[in-house]
Amino acid sequence: MRRKQKTMAKQQERQDSYQLGNGLMILGEPMPDVESASFYFLLPAGSAYLPDGCCGAGEVITDWMLRGAGSRNSRQLIETLDGLGIHHNTSVSAEHLSLSASLEADNVPAAMELCADILTAPMLTDDQFEPSKQLALHELAALDDDPQQKVRMLVSEQYYPSPYNRPTEGKPAELENLTTQRCRQIIRDQFDWSKCIFSIAGKYDFQTICDILEKRFSALAGTKVKTPLPGSRGQHYFHEPNDGAQVHIGLMTTVPTVRDVRYYDIMAAVSILSGSMSSRLFTEVREKRGLCYAVGARYKSLKDFAAISGYAGTTPEQAQETLDVMIDQFRQLRKGISDDEMHRAKIGLKSSLIMQCESSATRAAGIAADHAHLGRVRTMQEIRDAIEAVSVSSVLAFLNDNLFEDFTVATIGPKPIQH
Amino acid sequence: MTFKHKQLSNGLTLIGEMHPAAQTVAMGFFVRTGSRDETPEVSGVSHFLEHMMFKGTDDLNWQQVNEAFDGIGAKFNAFTGEENTVYYAAVLSEFLPDVARLWSKLMRPSLRDDDFNIEKNVIQQEIAMYKDMPQFEVLDQARALHFGSHPCGNSVLGTEASIAAMTADQMRRYFSRRYAPNNLVAAACGNFEFDQLCDQVESLCSHWKPEESGRQLSSFDGTQSRKALRKENLARHHICMISPCVSMQDPRRFAASLLSMIIGDDSGSRYYWSLVDCAIAETASMQAETMDGVGAMYSYLCCEPDNAEKVTSIVANIFDQIAKDGVSENEVQTAKNKILSAMAIKSEQPMGRIFGLGFNWIYAKQYRTLADDIASVRAVTAEDINRLIAEYKPGHFTCLEMGPKV
Repeated sequence: MRRKQKTMAKQQERQDSYQLGNGLMILGEPMPDVESASFYFLLPAGSAYLPDGCCGAGEVITDWMLRGAGSRNSRQLIETLDGLGIHHNTSVSAEHLSLSASLEADNVPAAMELCADILTAPMLTDDQFEPSKQLALHELAALDDDPQQKVRMLVSEQYYPSPYNRPTEGKPAELENLTTQRCRQIIRDQFDWSKCIFSIAGKYDFQTICDILEKRFSALAGTKVKTPLPGSRGQHYFHEPNDGAQVHIGLMTTVPTVRDVRYYDIMAAVSILSGSMSSRLFTEVREKRGLCYAVGARYKSLKDFAAISGYAGTTPEQAQETLDVMIDQFRQLRKGISDDEMHRAKIGLKSSLIMQCESSATRAAGIAADHAHLGRVRTMQEIRDAIEAVSVSSVLAFLNDNLFEDFTVATIGPKPIQH
Repeated sequence: MTFKHKQLSNGLTLIGEMHPAAQTVAMGFFVRTGSRDETPEVSGVSHFLEHMMFKGTDDLNWQQVNEAFDGIGAKFNAFTGEENTVYYAAVLSEFLPDVARLWSKLMRPSLRDDDFNIEKNVIQQEIAMYKDMPQFEVLDQARALHFGSHPCGNSVLGTEASIAAMTADQMRRYFSRRYAPNNLVAAACGNFEFDQLCDQVESLCSHWKPEESGRQLSSFDGTQSRKALRKENLARHHICMISPCVSMQDPRRFAASLLSMIIGDDSGSRYYWSLVDCAIAETASMQAETMDGVGAMYSYLCCEPDNAEKVTSIVANIFDQIAKDGVSENEVQTAKNKILSAMAIKSEQPMGRIFGLGFNWIYAKQYRTLADDIASVRAVTAEDINRLIAEYKPGHFTCLEMGPKV
């Protein structure tokens, strides 16, 4: 068991950490002058970890777990959460299943007890299962009316290797086949408490936090879940016909993960490409050519796979040109970056960093993600120094090793385009 | 936390809320203009103009504008609604003078013809984008149906035809009337010195000339009409219901927010238990929108096309019940806790405070601290909400539905 309280030069950079005997990691970062706090439970039980044929089980399970836990039935549980003003959320990614909460600081201990009930003592009654499954099916069907969102799902499905490409929203036939027994089994087999991460940011008392987690989680064991091995990837181009007003274009191209030493060079490159309104994509696609309203790209990283993911929505007549200009802009980057562009990218990254630290929810999520991907939490000073060290030549060196030769593309719209 | 305000002789108002512990400042201009201030021939001009404001001034082109914001790491944007157009940015405190100078300059744009013509395409693209978002379109069409001839039913985006026909001259005329200093509020929130900011804004904006830029105000109870649109390419059935509500100037707006939360919050509300918990609808929400001299309660529901009738009949039951029995003390207390904690979370960042700060001034010439709002929420009783229900009758609504099986 290790206890740690590291205090940096400035008060706001204190980092708290404590590991339970079973391996559960507790991380905290206090924020000055706020009356609120946010916390995260992160479990390595995302869609990639599911057994075959259960795509979407994470969505069903997280909804089902909220339908009664501990001594409270569904209605009592929701009423207690709401009564404490807890803004709670569950989410499922390829790697993780998470439960998060934001609330007034005074109610943190009570909220943690409730979340511990949800995670470790959900009722999972038979009668509450079907509505959870039906809601997951409905939400999946509703994606057809939200093509902007759906095209991101489609391109991820083609880009990532299996099973990391499974849509977290599920697949209709596999959702239909889910049963109570199957989902209970998934919870038993996949919830590995030895790899759980708890993070908190805002106003809190670390000793109280540790005491609650020790009491509620220290007796829970790990499981034998292994990190899934990557399999094959999907198609280079995928089109879904839809009689809408626009063609929605999603694209992904490979870059190194957050663990790579060139991570901040990648972040600067993404920022130059699409960090703001003076960036290349916005300037070339929207401002100079008026091809679309929405265009952008961002960095996305799982532990072992990363990509720059782009989106644009445009009319069918302009779709081909939009895609061609976007891809060209990725490739043009290595031909030169001005000092002004580099300055803007660096100041933009630093400014985002400081603003993220003013929001407890963003910071708590960042702490948990750092630990999951890097095995440690970066300090603000470390990130600031790393951004400072980025230069035109370091970014160009990265771009010359990473030529953006291959793009996975998905479109939704009246007709396909050439790729 | 302290508050200061100042009005320049040309009518421009400056307001500031100082938080010495913050590391950032949010700063922007609130313009009291939106789609309700438009005539049919310039439908969509407020929103189109908002885009054009970023195209530059006589000594800055659009590229220099974007580079100037990005050069100080500003997180900036703008939005246009039925009655306000807001330009805002968050920056590290040291960059406030830069961002204040930039916004002050941009509030007097060139509105060049060639920029106007390129941006027209972008607006047409934006209109096309929203056509593919039924959750937005149903709301837009329901608003037009509910407000009928009242200007609050005007579309923010305008139509393909109104945008195509619009000229840069029409936009310039609209600009000079609506962006007069007496129709603008400059607001800042975070770590900064108010007097320094005032001196700077005054030196840049005091030569602007005031204009007559009022607004026709009238309350409106809605048409209570119903319309159903068949759209073959939709997968789900989308419903929007609108009923009248109190205005932003009415102190009962806090009771209205609590009522919308009791009926339609995404967790633990009446809609939640009757529709979402049992998987009859995947989305069922209600919001109170209090506006200038008028207000509306909006419900949005999304479900499987075969469940549409069931959903509307359950909603009708919820409204009947609430009209008959009112809300309970317990429901009110829960809704209060949810709102109060949302306020605490939102106020973590200057960017979370700036909109409340600006709108309180725009609508009521009033400064309200977070503590004032907390006290107003705490003071609402179940009886207050029940009186509101009796007067505004949320069950008497306008309804617009669209789906594949209508």
